[in-house]
Amino acid sequence: MAHQQEKPLKISKQLRSKAHEFLTSRRNADSLMNIINHFDAGEDLPSCLLTLEMIFTSLLKERHMFIEIVPLKPVEKTEENQFKTWLRNVYEECFTKILQCLEHSSQKVQMQGLATAMNILSHEGRFPLESKGSFDNYVPLMKLKSVLMKLLSNKQNNMQLINKYTEYLLFDDVLFFTWKILPSLTAKSNPNEVYIMNYLILLEKLNVYQNAETKFLCGSGNVSGAFFTFDENIIKKFLNKIWHCVMHWEHTPDTHKQVLIVLLEKVLCHLEKPLLLTDFLMDSLDVGGAVSLLALQGIFTMIQVHNLDYPNLFAKLYSMFEPEIFHTKYKARLFHLSDLFLSSTHLPETLVAAFAKRMARLALVAPSEDVIILCNFIGNLILRHPGLKCLLNNPGCAAASTDPYIMEERDPLKSNAIISSLWELQTLQNHVIPSVAVAARFINTPLPSVEWDLGQILENTGDDIFDKEVKKFSKLIVLQFEKPVGASIGKGERVMQYWNL
Amino acid sequence: MAKTKNKKVSSDQIHKKKEQLHLKKSMNPFEVHINKEKLKVIGKKQKNDRGLPGVSRAKALEKRKHTLLKEYKVQDKSNKFTDKRIGERNHKLTSEDKVMARFTAVRVKAHNKKSKFNLADDVVLTHRGQTLSEIEKFDDPRSDEDSLDEDESGKLDRDFVKEAHFGGGMLKKTGVEGAKSHKDLIDQLIAESKKRKAEKQKTKEATLELTEKLDSEWKDLIPLVNQKSKNDPDDVEKPQLDDYDKVMRELKFEARGTVSDRLKTEDEVAKEEKARLEKLENDRLERMQGYIDAKNPKQTHRSADDLDDDFIHDDDPEPDYTLSYDNEGKSTLQIEASVNGKPLTEAESSADEDNSIDEESEADSEDNLSDLKADSSDSESEEESKIEDNKTEESPVDLIGETKEDLQMEIKNDLLQRKEIMEKARQELPFTFHLPDSYETLLKELESQSCSHQCVIIERMIKCNHPSLAESNKENLGLLFAYLLQYFNDLFTDSSKVETIQDSFDIFKALVPQIYQLAQLNPENAHNSVLEVIKEKHEDYRKKPGIYPGLEVLVFLKLVSILFPTSDFRHQIVTPCFVFMEQMLNKCRVRNRRDISYGLFLCTLVLEYTTISQRYLPGVINFLAGLLHMAIPKTGVKLVKVPPPFKSTSTLLVLLENLSLSFSDSSEKCFQMKNTDLLSTEIDEEFKVRALHTAIGLSEEFYRHFEKLPSNVEIFSPIQKYLELVPALNYPRKVANGMENLSNCLNKTKSERILNYIVMEATRPKALRLYEPKIEPVYDGKRFKVQSREKREQSKLLHKLKSEKKGALREIRRDKAFLGRVKINQRIQSDKERIEKVKRIYAEASMQQSELNELDRKKKRKK
Repeated sequence: MAHQQEKPLKISKQLRSKAHEFLTSRRNADSLMNIINHFDAGEDLPSCLLTLEMIFTSLLKERHMFIEIVPLKPVEKTEENQFKTWLRNVYEECFTKILQCLEHSSQKVQMQGLATAMNILSHEGRFPLESKGSFDNYVPLMKLKSVLMKLLSNKQNNMQLINKYTEYLLFDDVLFFTWKILPSLTAKSNPNEVYIMNYLILLEKLNVYQNAETKFLCGSGNVSGAFFTFDENIIKKFLNKIWHCVMHWEHTPDTHKQVLIVLLEKVLCHLEKPLLLTDFLMDSLDVGGAVSLLALQGIFTMIQVHNLDYPNLFAKLYSMFEPEIFHTKYKARLFHLSDLFLSSTHLPETLVAAFAKRMARLALVAPSEDVIILCNFIGNLILRHPGLKCLLNNPGCAAASTDPYIMEERDPLKSNAIISSLWELQTLQNHVIPSVAVAARFINTPLPSVEWDLGQILENTGDDIFDKEVKKFSKLIVLQFEKPVGASIGKGERVMQYWNL
Repeated sequence: MAKTKNKKVSSDQIHKKKEQLHLKKSMNPFEVHINKEKLKVIGKKQKNDRGLPGVSRAKALEKRKHTLLKEYKVQDKSNKFTDKRIGERNHKLTSEDKVMARFTAVRVKAHNKKSKFNLADDVVLTHRGQTLSEIEKFDDPRSDEDSLDEDESGKLDRDFVKEAHFGGGMLKKTGVEGAKSHKDLIDQLIAESKKRKAEKQKTKEATLELTEKLDSEWKDLIPLVNQKSKNDPDDVEKPQLDDYDKVMRELKFEARGTVSDRLKTEDEVAKEEKARLEKLENDRLERMQGYIDAKNPKQTHRSADDLDDDFIHDDDPEPDYTLSYDNEGKSTLQIEASVNGKPLTEAESSADEDNSIDEESEADSEDNLSDLKADSSDSESEEESKIEDNKTEESPVDLIGETKEDLQMEIKNDLLQRKEIMEKARQELPFTFHLPDSYETLLKELESQSCSHQCVIIERMIKCNHPSLAESNKENLGLLFAYLLQYFNDLFTDSSKVETIQDSFDIFKALVPQIYQLAQLNPENAHNSVLEVIKEKHEDYRKKPGIYPGLEVLVFLKLVSILFPTSDFRHQIVTPCFVFMEQMLNKCRVRNRRDISYGLFLCTLVLEYTTISQRYLPGVINFLAGLLHMAIPKTGVKLVKVPPPFKSTSTLLVLLENLSLSFSDSSEKCFQMKNTDLLSTEIDEEFKVRALHTAIGLSEEFYRHFEKLPSNVEIFSPIQKYLELVPALNYPRKVANGMENLSNCLNKTKSERILNYIVMEATRPKALRLYEPKIEPVYDGKRFKVQSREKREQSKLLHKLKSEKKGALREIRRDKAFLGRVKINQRIQSDKERIEKVKRIYAEASMQQSELNELDRKKKRKK
């Protein structure tokens, strides 16, 4: 054990000493070659990466690779210049090798590779290899592009790397030039799924707006803005260009979902002609599950902001209320959205009643945390539409034998909900979990004047209820008073009846 | 001098009083001054309508004479004579009163702290260290004789005295020839008296000696006398003792019992027990409703004017919940009677029990732990009766009634066997066990013992360390409880093998009564430790919410239902357990035999938890429906939808063969789930049948629970749907019957259900607010300033100060006037005296002068 631990320590020490040798005297070029060979061998990659990073950053800092180019004059062929060109060749070679580390199987190496590449990149920007015009700094675009190409790989999911890359996106120049490079990297024809995922993940991380704090990776602070201007309009142009391509890709269900998420969260508000998306969203609406929900949200934004008129929206929303939703991740979003949709007080009462009744039906099979949400939701609906009180208070009608509400009817307006009554809530008052039973009791008392706040409980889980119940401290300690017989309690024993333990 | 004066004063006072009384009766109309009133109010009693200025002035003067004048007199004087005799300064006391007062003062003084230890009131006279009273007791018998001989011994002879003292002398001397001189005579006298004394001394000593001798001889004789008296009755009296004497003596020397409550008869004991259980049951029902019944919020206050005109006020909101122990107990007892074929009353049956206890305890009377036995046998007999209860209670569920009875009989037999084993274990084990001080020691103690032995060990640990025996026992038993929980935990976490699980469950079953007892002994501890365990298990489960946790969770959940009332509306332990079970049922994937059995066990537990409260948990129905769905053969294209965690393609429980003719014995036992089901993963045909049977049984029971709920049809609609799709023909008759029955029930309720539209409770219309009439005080002409309380108090004080000041000034002025009067009187007095003196001197001088003049005149005349 100890031996193995010592080994990498020793190697990194050796590498470092070699690097020092090389940096102190030019004649020790062999040691640089040694390091590179070691790096090629593929052992101790992190320490090699660190050493190379150290070597090249210091070389760049000392401008050892800087070759003065005088226009209309060939470069002198001094020994010095020869060495410099050799160094630069080595440098370029090494950079590609470093980038290859991004495809390494080990996550640690990947991360280190990205960090090294970005660090070298930043030093090159700050201490350019050649003088370019009047600027002291520039962003080495080719290198950034190759980094991005590695990120948008079509072989592996680069989620972690892209997350790491977001740290660099805090620098305005990196953000801007990423946007600039991205259109050229976008696939025109149908790319594979991995590429799309990587692409969308990266896109989700990119901000359209300048960062609140202006920082530059390539270039010191005092010369800020000298070498480029952050123009949001240009970025929006890039974005539109990109999105045009993205829309034409073929999507699998996963990427479809991701597209919708990116679209809703980042892209939609920056598009020039959002109405072009309508077809896409309509198609998505029919997919079902989470995708249609996200599409619904998109349509909602379109209706709200862009005056889209979609006739059958509520029927779609209505059809989403199925028992399966309680086992999906997006149920909170569904509740939130439907709360938004149904917040209008101008909706027909038959429609809202159908929703209320359907939710009540679902509450009969839902997990406790959702039953609470549903109860409060129904309460809110009734508060918004006082006409629905007939669901709670219908003294005129004689007793019915069956519930007039038709659960199977797809059209909420034809479901007869308004002539029904909320018996489900009455049933739920007998729920085992006290908080649920209490939540269902609202139908017994006059309705409150203020709506229930759904926002707080939307994210509740069964664990939350458990914690709450456990913490509920009561001084009263009650024990069973009936003495057990063997392992069975007196009257209510059922386990021993069904089980032969 | 002073005394006499005082006496005079007191008599004078009496006289004065009398006079005053007299005076009051006939008041001089000229002395009365009438205060004129400005406004006359009829019927008002006035204090100050008339005054007696003369009288009151005289009174004031008198008062001043006693106070101010006296002070004035002793003014500028350093010495003062004060009379400290009691009552001397009090003019009101009569002389007799004074005497009385003085006497009591003396008595009181005798009883003060210092003189408390004086034994006698007066000085006690002593003689040779003995009080005279002691000496006077005459306890020495010899003194009696002395007193008898007094004249002989102490005094001189009568003749001698006659001769020597009286009548003798010179005259006698001459008569008896004067043989002896007077001196001789005296000598003779002395010698004689001495001789007499010596004789007396001698006889005294002799008697003393004799009595002492007698005493000592008597002492020697005593043992002889005693022995004889002892021996004699033994021989003689014994046959004479008759029963009466014996009984009487026994009664006489019997330890007298202290006064206590009358022993309760069996009837009363039974009645009390019933009352206690009823109370507990009522409490439980109350808790089941939740403490605050939101259905009818309590009226906080109702005014007396509330007439309750047009509102229905049901003060008793729980007429529906007439389910009480009383009714059930009675009915079960009746049924029991019919089962036994003998008419048995409650009291008799309990008496029987008691008898059996007595017999047992007598039989084991040499056993010093007989009480333990009696207790446990008690519990066992209870067991039996309870099982019978069970049986009778279950019998109305007449589907599988007979087989159930068989099952109960089996259980009964099983219990009897177990009882025998326990008896054996009791005899084999030592009687005392120390409480384990760590979990390891407990393990060591229980290691390699059979389950019945373990049970006895724990039982004896509890008995030997009962909290009433030592203070620290309660905590230690709490520790034991925690160790046992840990023991269960380890037992069931380890027992993942099919071979050991039976043992584990046996141990669990054996230890449950002990754990229950421990929990009863220290409820707080039990409460906390179980809660901690549940929390911990839930924490573990959270890490992998899709997989059913270990068996120990089931065991703990079962333990909760044993230890705690599961019917409460909210219980700090039971409610989290419900949440836990619900989560498991909703989230855990069902993939193999173990998962199915685990879920079924949870469903059974939920059923058990809710038997009394009959509350609803959606997850259970969902799970049962999912199991039914699993038994539907999926043919071709059309998939039957099923909510998660089940998959619509799952066919785990579909029968591969037609089993309608197997299971020929069709006893309940072979349809029961087995503990090995909780471990193995492979599903065989037999298991499929058993699982489906159990699922249907549970559904049926749940259906009965929810029959009253308005949306029961909706709740059971998935079950109904799936039930129709399950091919009943492939199953054994019993299972098929159960399915048919259930689906019949469901169809029946679907067609017969009556849904009453929800009507909100009519809210009481808010009464108009009634104001209290504003009552103002009668106008009395005075105006009261409206001001704050402090200010009012202050102004009142200021007013009082002003008037007091006025009064004081007036008094001072009058004092001054009085003193002035006194002074001027003195001055006038002294002037008068002086003038008189001068006059007298003048008169004397003029007399002298006139005499002198006369002498002069005489001289002149003579001349």
